Formats: sequence, structure tokens, C-alpha cells
Amino acid sequence: MWQRFVQWWQEWEREQLAVLACPSLANSTPLGYRRVLATKLAQLSEIERKQLADFSSTYTGRKMWIPVGWMALAFSIAGLLLQLALAPGMPLHKAVIGANAIGFTCVCMWIGAWFNYRQLSRRMLRALGMTILLAILGGIAGFSIAMLTSEHGYLAELHKIPRIVGIMGLGAITLLGVPMMLITIFRNRQYASLTAAMQRDAEQDRLARALSETQLRLLRAQIEPHFLFNTLGAVQQLAEDKAPRAAELTANLIAFLRASLDEMRNDTVTLADDFKLIDAYLRVMHVRLGARLRFTLVLPTELAQVRLPSMLLLTLVENAIKHGIEPALRGGEVRVSADQADGVLHVRVEDSGIGLQDNVLDGTGLANARRRLALAHPGAATLSLLALEDGTLAEITLPLAA
Amino acid sequence: MTTVLIAEDEPLMRERLVAMLAQAWPEARVVLVAENGNDAWDGFLEHEPAVVFLDIRMPGLSGLEVAGRIGKQAHVVFVTAYDQYAVDAFDAGAVDYLLKPVQADRLDRAVARLRDKLRAGPADLGDDLVDIVRQLKAAMPDAPREKMKWIRASVGRQIRLIDVADVLFFQSDAKYTRVVTAQFEALVRIPLKDLLSGLDPAVFWQIHRGTMVNVNAIAAAERVDAERLQVLLRGHTEKLTVSRSFAHLFRD
Repeated sequence: MWQRFVQWWQEWEREQLAVLACPSLANSTPLGYRRVLATKLAQLSEIERKQLADFSSTYTGRKMWIPVGWMALAFSIAGLLLQLALAPGMPLHKAVIGANAIGFTCVCMWIGAWFNYRQLSRRMLRALGMTILLAILGGIAGFSIAMLTSEHGYLAELHKIPRIVGIMGLGAITLLGVPMMLITIFRNRQYASLTAAMQRDAEQDRLARALSETQLRLLRAQIEPHFLFNTLGAVQQLAEDKAPRAAELTANLIAFLRASLDEMRNDTVTLADDFKLIDAYLRVMHVRLGARLRFTLVLPTELAQVRLPSMLLLTLVENAIKHGIEPALRGGEVRVSADQADGVLHVRVEDSGIGLQDNVLDGTGLANARRRLALAHPGAATLSLLALEDGTLAEITLPLAA
Repeated sequence: MTTVLIAEDEPLMRERLVAMLAQAWPEARVVLVAENGNDAWDGFLEHEPAVVFLDIRMPGLSGLEVAGRIGKQAHVVFVTAYDQYAVDAFDAGAVDYLLKPVQADRLDRAVARLRDKLRAGPADLGDDLVDIVRQLKAAMPDAPREKMKWIRASVGRQIRLIDVADVLFFQSDAKYTRVVTAQFEALVRIPLKDLLSGLDPAVFWQIHRGTMVNVNAIAAAERVDAERLQVLLRGHTEKLTVSRSFAHLFRD
């Protein structure tokens, strides 16, 4: 009998822990009281589930019975002391049992509040009222039984009812109501700060991931065989008999690689530095593509120190070359410009290449660029692509800090 | 003297390949250095070179597409900056390739192989090529490409937008192209070869260096003599000549 009880208890405990770890398991628990409880557990938020799971897996088996034993001892001693101090007339065993009953009721209720703080805070008044009402009703019920068995006849004891109601009500408020309210408030604050911390972590995580994705893209772009070997081939050819131009191309390649390494290490970059990087990149591409690529850069001096998430502009310019100019039979022009209007910064990359094609939107780093813009300037920045009559316009808008 | 066509979109790489080839293969004659895939294909039809060096990534028709069109009509050497997967495909077949930037010793070897092949004659040329083109196309994503839906053309004093699907055929006319529909015809100021890559090859068949015809408009092909074919159209009386390079399109 005892063994079966222990087995049932352990199985149920395991099942609850499993549901806490993976809420979707709730649907495969046996129907009835176990399903009802499992469904309730599954409805808790992730933080609550984790807290409950931590508690349950810590206080299980022996680890639960030891504190229970200590508490029983403490309650018994308290009952004894109270009996000696306040009610010498009361039989000793009644005092000990009563103290344990009150003590464990309180502990159970407190633990209940400790883990049900979210539901409790939503129905605080109702819960308090119910607790007090139940305590009073319990008191009256107990009293009624006592009256029926009383040797003085129940009418003689009736005058005690208001006192019972008062004692039970006050006791419920001090031992249960106030502590549970405090626990609820404390736990809800803890919950809010935990949630905030988790959101912050997740946000930081997203930022870091988006940044490293961009870094990876840029690294890949630099060592992309088409870029690297064609550029080196151009250097080699110029070195044959046009040494000054070879030196110039090498200088631009160095400037591009150096600047892009710098950008990779920073989350944001000034427009001045960004335009320098793009200038070096376009000069390299100009030597390679010859007359097929023309470009202009326009950066007003008052915007030179405005900061932008790093490597974004380069992504747009690379796209303009790769998807606009390079595939165009007759090439075209790239124009990169920045200006401001009404406190909003506009950075534009315009190309007169083949225009937006259906298959271009994948793999252009645009999704990544949008994500980084949104993370750096939540709700305020935009990145849009527009098909022009000839070519494509990519535009970043950002509110300028006042 | 062996005739050679070179197609490469970057000017310095072009210059380099021409200079190196002159060293490695003095008796070869470069008939054309094309700057994009369309010029390469058009130049191939015009000059019918024995050897073609094709950059894979070019504006317009890609090197792979040009190779696919050349098929068995010439020896092709691909020039590519791509690495592993491309190289794997090449190594499996007999088609040669050069990695960019092209290095002299590698070019010497390619030239030696070409000389051997040319001495052996044009036998079994191209089967490998078709295979390799197919493999490479599967491995490499398609580059973006201008696909034409409309053509702007002046008809008299009007400027008309012509839906490409309505065009019966395009015909080269010096620097212009005749655009012929069932209702009217117009001249556009774009050479036919520039239109090549913007037209869907499944809809517009090239039947001559100067003619692209809408498959849906073809009524029949008829034999003029033992060598020559011509195409009859639905909704138009003009008969279009099929040149020898394209006669295979109409053979069963």
C-alpha cells in the first residue's frame, strides 16, 4: 500500500517537472486531476515555470522532509511556549496539534502565494476576502462541532461566536492576508525586473547577432573570389607597364581593406569615415570596370560627423554595383549622397543599372541591414528600395539627434 | 592560323589575357575581344572562331549561356574567378578552364591542350561542354538580368510601348532593329545583339545572326534548297531565312 503510494507520488512529481520543462507535454498526461493540474502548469509564463521547476526539483524526497521536520519541531515548541505563557488551562497535545495546524496552513498558503503571485495580484482583494471568509467559516465550523459535543449545551456557548469571528478574522489577516500580500508584491516586482532583464539580454543578443552577421558578410565580400582575384589581376596587369596606376589601385585597395576592418570593429561610424570607405571601394571598382562605372559622392560638411550603423552604406553600394552596374551591358552611374530635411537624415545610393530584378532581394544583406537599423533606432529609421525609370534607389532615413 | 575570340568584361583582365595569349600562342589570331556575353555570341556568329575564351560572369548572356549556344561549334576555355565547385565540374570533363588572374604557366598548358585538340580535328566536341554547362548552372545562382517586357519604339510621330509578347520577330537593320508585330512595325535604336539577353530563349528563337523570331508566330519551316531553310509566319507574309548555324532547330 505504502509502496504504491510512494510510486504514484514519484510518478506524478516527475510528470509535473516534465510539464514544467516542456509545456506541450501537458496534453499527453492522463485525463482527470493530473491533466487539469498539468494544463494549469503549462499556462504559466516561462519565468514562473522555471521558478517552480527550480523549487520543486530542489525540495524533493529527503530534501523536502527535512525542512518539514524542522518546521514541525519549531511549531511544536512554539505551541508549547504559547500554552505555558497564555493558556495554561489548555491540554498540551491540543496546543501542539493546533500550533502545527496553524503553522503548516500558513506555510502552505505562503508558498502558494510565492508561486501564484501573478494570479494573486490580478485578484488580490478577492483572494484576501476569500481567505478571511474561509478562515472565519472554518472557525465557526470548528466551533459548531465543539458546541455539539459541549457538556454545557450549545446555547450556553453561543455568546462566544463574535469572539471566534474576531479572532479568526484578525488571525487570518495577520498570518495570511498581510504576508501573502507582501509576498505577492515582492514577487511581482522580482518578476518585472526579471522580465526586463531578459528583454534586455534578448535585445543585446539580437544586436550582437545582427552585427556579427554584417561582419561576416563583409569578410566574405572581401575574400569573395570574384572581388579578390579580379582586383589582384588588375593590379598585376597594371604592374606590367603602368606602374603609377598599379600603385594607385593598390593604395585604394589597402584603404578599402583597412577602413572596412576598422568599421568591422565598431558598431557605428561617422558619415565622413563611411564615405571614405566607399570612395576607396568605388575607386577600386572603377579601375576594374573602366568606363562602365561612373560615380559621384556628395557629403555636406555639416553631416560629416553624423553616425550611422557601420557597414550599412557599403552593403547598399555593393548591391548597386553587383546587381545594378555589373550586369548592365553598358554599365552606369552610382551616386551616393547625404542630406537633411526637417531633422531627418537621408542617405541615398542611386544607380542607373539594370534596375530591381525579381531575384535580387535574397542574399543582398538587406534584411540584415534593416534589422540593424531597427535595433539601433527602434521605430525611427527606414531603409527603402525604389525602382527608378533606369536603375534603383536605396535610401536610409534616420532622425537626427537634436 | 587558329582564330580566337576572347570575352571578358573587365578591361584590364581583357588586356592581360590578350597580351598573355600573344606570348603563349603567337600563331593564334584574335578576331574579336568582346566586352559582354551578347557581343561574344554575336561575334561568334560573325567570325566563327575555332577557339573561344569565355569569362563566366559577364553582363548580358553569361559565359555559360554563350557556351551552351556555341555547343559543338568551337573549343571553349572558361576563365573564372570562382573556385572549388566550378573547378570540380571542370575537372570531371575535358573542357579546359583558367582561374583568374590568369598565370602564364597555366595558360601555356591550356594552349598546349588546345593545339592537340585542334590537330585531332573537331571530333566529339561539345558533349562534355553541354554536361559541364548544365552542372555549373545548377551550382551557381543565376546572376540578375534585365528581362524585357516592353519595348519603346517610335512609329511615325508616336512613341509606342510594345508588349514583347506581341512581337512576331526582331530583325537587325544596321545599328537599328526592326520590331515587327501583326499590326505594324517599328524601328528601335538598339542593336539586336543588345536585345538578345533580355528575351526569353524559350519564346524567341534566334534563327539567324540578325533575326529573332517568336516561336508562337512560326507557322512552318520550308526548305529552299539542299542547304537553306526559311520560316513562314502566322499573320505576316514575310519569309525569314534560317542560317546554317540554326538549322538544327528545325530538324526532327
